[in-house]
Amino acid sequence: MTATENPATQQASNTYRPSTLQRFLPFVIAAVVPFILGATTNDLNFWWKAAITVAILALVARLAWRWTPRGELTHREDMRLWRTPSDRSWAALTMFGLLVLPFILASDFTPPMDFPWATWFAVVNLVLIFAMGAAAFNLLVGYSGQISLAHVAFLALGSIVGGIVGVQWSGGNMWLALPAAALAGAVVGAISGLPALRLKHLYLLLATFGFHFVMMLVWREYLQEYFGFVGIRFKGVNSPRIASWLHWLPGIDPDENGEFIITGQFRWYWVLMPITVLSILFMVNVIRTREGRAFAAVRDRDVSASLLGINVARSKLMAFALSSAVVAMSGVLASFYIGSRGEDSFNVQTVLNYAIIIVVGGFSSIQGAIFGSAFFWFLPEWFKWAREELWFVRDIDFLSDYPSEIDLAIKGFLVVIILMFKPDGLAGLWRDFKNWLGRSLARRKP
Amino acid sequence: MLLAFGNFTADPSVNLQLLIGGLALGAIYAVVALGFVLVYKSTDVLNLAHGEFLMLGAYFALTFLISENLNFFLGVFVLLLVMLVFGLLVHYGIMRRMVGQGFFAIVLITLGIATIIRALLLIFYGPTERARLDLLPQGSFEVGGATVRHVDLIIFAVVAACVLLFFLFFKYTRLGLHMRAVADDIEAAAAMGIDPDKVYAMTWAAAMVMAGVGGLLFGHVTGAIDRSIEAIGLRAFPAAVVGGLTSLGGSIVGGLVVGVIEQFANGHLGTKWREPVAFSVMFVVLLVRPTGLWGRKDLERV
Repeated sequence: MTATENPATQQASNTYRPSTLQRFLPFVIAAVVPFILGATTNDLNFWWKAAITVAILALVARLAWRWTPRGELTHREDMRLWRTPSDRSWAALTMFGLLVLPFILASDFTPPMDFPWATWFAVVNLVLIFAMGAAAFNLLVGYSGQISLAHVAFLALGSIVGGIVGVQWSGGNMWLALPAAALAGAVVGAISGLPALRLKHLYLLLATFGFHFVMMLVWREYLQEYFGFVGIRFKGVNSPRIASWLHWLPGIDPDENGEFIITGQFRWYWVLMPITVLSILFMVNVIRTREGRAFAAVRDRDVSASLLGINVARSKLMAFALSSAVVAMSGVLASFYIGSRGEDSFNVQTVLNYAIIIVVGGFSSIQGAIFGSAFFWFLPEWFKWAREELWFVRDIDFLSDYPSEIDLAIKGFLVVIILMFKPDGLAGLWRDFKNWLGRSLARRKP
Repeated sequence: MLLAFGNFTADPSVNLQLLIGGLALGAIYAVVALGFVLVYKSTDVLNLAHGEFLMLGAYFALTFLISENLNFFLGVFVLLLVMLVFGLLVHYGIMRRMVGQGFFAIVLITLGIATIIRALLLIFYGPTERARLDLLPQGSFEVGGATVRHVDLIIFAVVAACVLLFFLFFKYTRLGLHMRAVADDIEAAAAMGIDPDKVYAMTWAAAMVMAGVGGLLFGHVTGAIDRSIEAIGLRAFPAAVVGGLTSLGGSIVGGLVVGVIEQFANGHLGTKWREPVAFSVMFVVLLVRPTGLWGRKDLERV
């Protein structure tokens, strides 16, 4: 083999390294520009705003794509979360999109054919909360292979902790309730994971389902003891607020009582979005660590994993604790966002809903949880809109007579069809689309 | 300790009544558990949709026996025939493609089937609750101060007959032998010329017919027929696990044991303790003896 055929030297010849500024600039643009747009474009026509937004989206994606290390990567570069040009572009696009979205949704734009603009903000916030819970569920069930039906129990646990710490002790301090719920979720999650040390598959599923019923008993007892029939109210005096020593922050203008109450979709978005994004990034990062790879090894074969030097018991309990902590936090967020929790807030149908979300989104991928919950909440909205506005759907009486039942039927059929024909769900479709896009772009170049 | 919890009473007639109620409930659990066991024994699928199958049976019983007003035996025959067709449909339409998929994917697909059945029943029958069936004898008699309903005795007899029938079927018929062979080792059975596809189809058909019987029986003892009766499927889990998920006879014993325990918890501790106590019993059984009282033990090779 001559020196020119050596692949290492060939790759080294087209190695490209962006400067540090170039590496971070697309993300800085993505982080700053939405706020500039939001603050300056008030008197612009909606379509102008849309055009500017799309142009900046394209610019950010292009820059992130261009300024990616290429050629022979060091180990450090190879281990980065966003490694390929495609990863970096999508990350920058997502970041820009998430930051610009609330400004778009809060604008008084009326789309053609009465497309439901106003109700979408609430749906987006619910998607954020559910994506967080479903991603944690997927980490446990899909990625670590510890079959559990107890995650609604942890939503209930989140509501209990939110009730004790957030309402009874501190009168609406959600910020205190969140870490408390994470702690309680981790401890109780590790306890509920104890059967996993002895049981597998079906039997583990049944055992965790037993835990669900025990937790439901605790929830009902707690409600009756302290709150009675009406349930816990997380609204009104119990609404979360920003502490007064933080009122100097930009964009925070206290009301006449000197308080900044988190209410309305726009404010809630800025609370929910960072928490959800951070916890999902946290889980994605867990998967990349030794601990996360141990989860996958235990899922594939626990005996082989133990031969590799993995502490199987620790790994299983860790998976349960991590997942439950995040689910409990999403339980707190859901309680405060929805505003009240009663006896029938948690039932077997809620368990099914989460199962539907992770199946439709894509089993065992964190991304799938996001797609799944978006689909789960947008489907009824689309369907409602189609029933009211689309002329060829509006005339079918059958559809408008049974709206929620038909939603349910569609979801059921989707679960069955996706499991039969496309087991990796919407996340798999998305991957296929990206591959197709990459192939067709590559073909165009000489 | 128990005294501290609730209105524990030493009155023998109350306890006798609870025992009889528990046995009646247990007989229903046994019917449902038998459905679980049939499917799990030969296809290794945990059918979470069995409660919905049962609801389907109850609603079809309403249609054929009440609305259409057929003769009782003809109506039951039509009911079971329709359920059998539905069972074949479930297998050939859906479950057939799922053979060899991961365990949890199959559990989830049964949840999907459950969702579909629930939605379609809501659409076609509406959310209004119907009066319970009253075709079996409605009388009752007294034993030592406790009331025994005739319906409960009939349910008991039907369950016992079904278990016996399935036992004989598995033991002495060719198809039963095939089912046992497929349950034991599907590849070896296929190599011996048994068609697993056909065996699975028959299993689902049998489970559906069992759900039809269960729906017919449960329709007589439930408060009213509405969408909430599917919950019996989940509540019968402890019964199936305690008896052993692969044992026909175990389902009857497990059903009775769990039924009695639940009824005593209900009577002495309060209604809210019913499910937690039943599932705790299941939990303990799972930890001590995961295969239940008479379940088949699976060896796992690395």
